[in-house]
Amino acid sequence: MKNVIEVKHLTKSYKTNKAVDDLSLTVKEGEILGLLGPNGSGKTTTMNCILSLLKFDNGEINIFGKEMKPDAYDIKSKIGVVFQDVAVFDELTVYGNIDYFCGLYIEDKNTRAQYVEDALKLVGLEDNKSQYPKQLSGGLLRRLNIACGIAHKPKLIFLDEPTVAVDPQSRNNILEGIKKLRDDGATIIYTTHYMEEVEILCDRVIILDHGKIIASGTNDELKALAKIEEKVTIEVPELAPKQLSGFEKIKNVSEVVYDNGVLKIVYRKGKNNLIDMMEYLKANKIQYNKIFSERPTLNDVFLELTGKELRD
Amino acid sequence: MIVSKAFWKIVLKNIGSIILPTVILLMFGTISVTSVDSTAQYEARKPALVIFNHDENVGLTKNFIEYLEENATIKTGYEDDDRLKDALFYEEVTAVIEIPENFHQDMALGHDPEVKMRSSAGYVAELAKVAVRRYLSVAKGYSALHLSEQELVAKVDKAIANGVKTEMKAAVDTSKYAKASRYYSFANYTILSCFITIICLIMSAFNREQVRKRNLVGAIDIKKMNRILLRNCCIYVLAAWVFYVVISVFVLGVEVVFTAQGALYAVNSLVFAACATTIAYLISIFALSAGAVNGLQNVLALGTSFLCGAFVPAEYLPDSVLAFAHVLPSYYYIDANDKIMKIQQFDAATMVPILLEIAVVAGFCVLFVALANIISKKRQRIA
Repeated sequence: MKNVIEVKHLTKSYKTNKAVDDLSLTVKEGEILGLLGPNGSGKTTTMNCILSLLKFDNGEINIFGKEMKPDAYDIKSKIGVVFQDVAVFDELTVYGNIDYFCGLYIEDKNTRAQYVEDALKLVGLEDNKSQYPKQLSGGLLRRLNIACGIAHKPKLIFLDEPTVAVDPQSRNNILEGIKKLRDDGATIIYTTHYMEEVEILCDRVIILDHGKIIASGTNDELKALAKIEEKVTIEVPELAPKQLSGFEKIKNVSEVVYDNGVLKIVYRKGKNNLIDMMEYLKANKIQYNKIFSERPTLNDVFLELTGKELRD
Repeated sequence: MIVSKAFWKIVLKNIGSIILPTVILLMFGTISVTSVDSTAQYEARKPALVIFNHDENVGLTKNFIEYLEENATIKTGYEDDDRLKDALFYEEVTAVIEIPENFHQDMALGHDPEVKMRSSAGYVAELAKVAVRRYLSVAKGYSALHLSEQELVAKVDKAIANGVKTEMKAAVDTSKYAKASRYYSFANYTILSCFITIICLIMSAFNREQVRKRNLVGAIDIKKMNRILLRNCCIYVLAAWVFYVVISVFVLGVEVVFTAQGALYAVNSLVFAACATTIAYLISIFALSAGAVNGLQNVLALGTSFLCGAFVPAEYLPDSVLAFAHVLPSYYYIDANDKIMKIQQFDAATMVPILLEIAVVAGFCVLFVALANIISKKRQRIA
């Protein structure tokens, strides 16, 4: 697959603070690349530099094989952007807004009318097209924001945290829409700090912290970086101190926390972890209600790599 | 094309903000015209004067007062300044004349003692002013001959007796334009309201950070987009100005609008419209919310209209207010309207002050554009 975006040694500083530090990345045609990182990790700055919205100190950015510049309108015509904050005209209707932003790329009236209808359908706003933004709920407003960014059917789409402060129904609708865009052939850069969305959507993930790439790969590749195998949660109404210390002696157990009737056990890499634990419960006649087992998440990977949570 | 379409959609969305000040202008214009007295009434009335004489009542001073008594009704009992201001406002008193100390001696010696005068609005006040100016200019002319005071009084009496009728006629012509002056001065409020509201709302909508970012990543040159916006703003401003001039034909009549003075009023208002546009452009850089724009528009349109004499004639405003008003373009626009009203003949003496005031308003345009560019560049650097 061709590289749609090539970023080499990108550096951007705000006075003494390096927002992006010697960052290099490539985005392949047709993939959804997740840029994951906590607030202030440089996701949005990287995106703004790629889009020529910000001047950067050093580096090289090529999109569709050409150098990206503020006046590279041939490249811009193939790009769609959905910003984190809703960027629409309060004075125009839902249809008027999509028509306007689509009109920045598509001049032909008839083609544009069809594209606007397609965008309305994609985000599920067909019934709201004559409403003004102020009449929409937060979730619908976010959907409008997305429709304005993708109505012109771009080949490359930047989505900057499009699901922030969105209700679950709208979030599902948005995520389904993004999958459909990928299926229609678009390449997508998706920045977020919601690891669950990255796991659902992204083919490849880049984890950023302090403007640097600290890990990249597919979900499974990244999770393989984690030192833990799984996390087990057991509801245990009563547990004696001696019984609790016994858990720590089970093979591969790295951490045990008992709080408020809930026992949390973290396992290092290894096999038959659950079987050993069940045998211990039976042997010590420990009463329990429910048992949950979880695979490590990207948050665990981030925690191990940086010592802090993604949402810190 | 799509930018122009969005521009006019936003104008239509805010059409209410244009209609209200326009209706007020129409109402004011109509009421103003119907309330202006006819020429017949004018001739039947004499100005009501209050005289404060700080000189001895002898010689030329006595003659001056007798002349005023002949041509006006002298009123007394207005020693309290607040009462006097009220009387001027309600036109119980047409004008207040203060004769300075040593007036008769100074005039006889060929000096130019200052006779202070405050007046109400309207043609009767103009009549009073013309009468006073006439007497003083004649007296000053003869004083250069170094006559005795007795001879001076006799010469002035004779000259005044021959000349009064001519001045009366000129005063009638001035009153003809009083209604035009009121209409165009009131337009200060309408022009500022309509232009600031619409241009600020549109430019603020396009300058809103997120929308601006989305426009910047679009496949259209942002400079081209700004040119389209500017072109549409100019079309809007010109269309609105033409509309107000057309209204003036119905309100004031062709005999006023299609004259040299009428053209001057139109030119003055066009330059002021351009100035209002630049004010709106300057404000719009800050990308204010609709509420803030409406608030600011009220403060500017109403504030300048009160301060500069669009609603209340400048003569009634305190000196401190008028001194402050000098820093506002509205002051020069309204003052130019007053000067156009008083034109009796077109010569350098009457035209230069008017053109200068129009030039000052044009200068404000340049100042506001320069300020807007400086602030805009500074904000871009910060961003």
